Amino acid sequence: MTQQQQQTHPPALTPAVQAMIGVSGEVVESWGVVDGEYMRRFTQALMDPDPRYWDDEFAKSTRYGELIAPPIMVSYLASRIRPDQGDPITAAFEENPESDGIGSVARPGELPPVPTNLVRVLNAGNELEVYAYPSIGDTIFFQNRYSDIRERLGRDGTPFLIITRETRYWNQDDVTLCITRASTIRR
Amino acid sequence: MSTPLEELLNMEPEEIWRRNERPDADGLRRKAQIYYEDVNEGDELPKYVYKPTPTHLFRWSAAIENFHRIHYDLDFGLNHDRNPSILVHGSWKQSVVPQYLKDWTLPNGWPWKARFEHRAMLVPGDILIMWGRVTSKYEKEQIGFVELEIGMKTQDGIESMPGTATVALPLRDGPPIPYPFVPPAAD
Repeated sequence: MTQQQQQTHPPALTPAVQAMIGVSGEVVESWGVVDGEYMRRFTQALMDPDPRYWDDEFAKSTRYGELIAPPIMVSYLASRIRPDQGDPITAAFEENPESDGIGSVARPGELPPVPTNLVRVLNAGNELEVYAYPSIGDTIFFQNRYSDIRERLGRDGTPFLIITRETRYWNQDDVTLCITRASTIRR
Repeated sequence: MSTPLEELLNMEPEEIWRRNERPDADGLRRKAQIYYEDVNEGDELPKYVYKPTPTHLFRWSAAIENFHRIHYDLDFGLNHDRNPSILVHGSWKQSVVPQYLKDWTLPNGWPWKARFEHRAMLVPGDILIMWGRVTSKYEKEQIGFVELEIGMKTQDGIESMPGTATVALPLRDGPPIPYPFVPPAAD
């Protein structure tokens, strides 16, 4: 990195961006509960035939003593659109018939945007930590937060950001089920 | 004995498919415990082989309510996003990871954590191989921890999801792994 490059490109990790580290979204209670029918559709689409998900008798014989659900399933269950809060999918297509069906759709618990003019978004990786299996009937809560924001330099000396969003999922007994982290590159 | 990954990648796609080691429900029901002492550096995990079709992709979109058109709208994918076809979901791939780790550690181990990146666009017609290999192991607080290299390769050997994982296996004469899972101190 030359002095000239440093002067050419202002830092991406500005104080305003740095201030976003640790910022959390609201705690969201997911719509509905963990239910067998949702799990059937999820596990069949995943192609995971594990009887721990559907065979009551067998499940009782396992160390869990009951049916369990895939931990990562709660991350999709949690993004259910609440029917009492409008229909953002239809709204997105009414606003823009060429909508991609996802980018402009508001989701519960979203974090405030990081104040940067770097707009290109690339996936930089995912992490998953698993602590307990959800049970049928569990109510799922989750909360997002910016767990890390770092600056890196591209080959041409242009700074970019790696933004990591962490989401913790827990149940009505405050048992942490899993933690996911999704990192994106902002160029 | 699982077919070594390198050997599998030298086979024709149909032969790779015939070597699929994804367990059925009975296989998961009868799965024998792998103990920490059974595992050695370099051991390969079973290979899960998938042949995703447009129907599989649509089923996954529906199951998790992912409305992104690149996964089911071929015209949108080709002409709007300039993709080679509809795309296999990153969310499906990252859901296979905890399933794969769960299956290997059943019935009393724990699929603790994983990190991975998404690379390469996967499309219907690809043969996908979920794989894992033991890179190291250590014992802590009477739990056996096994570090893995994991990924999902295409039939052409392109790695679409390079990553690592850590799972917990019981010791032959050790106590049960705590549930909900409690990581050892300093981990």
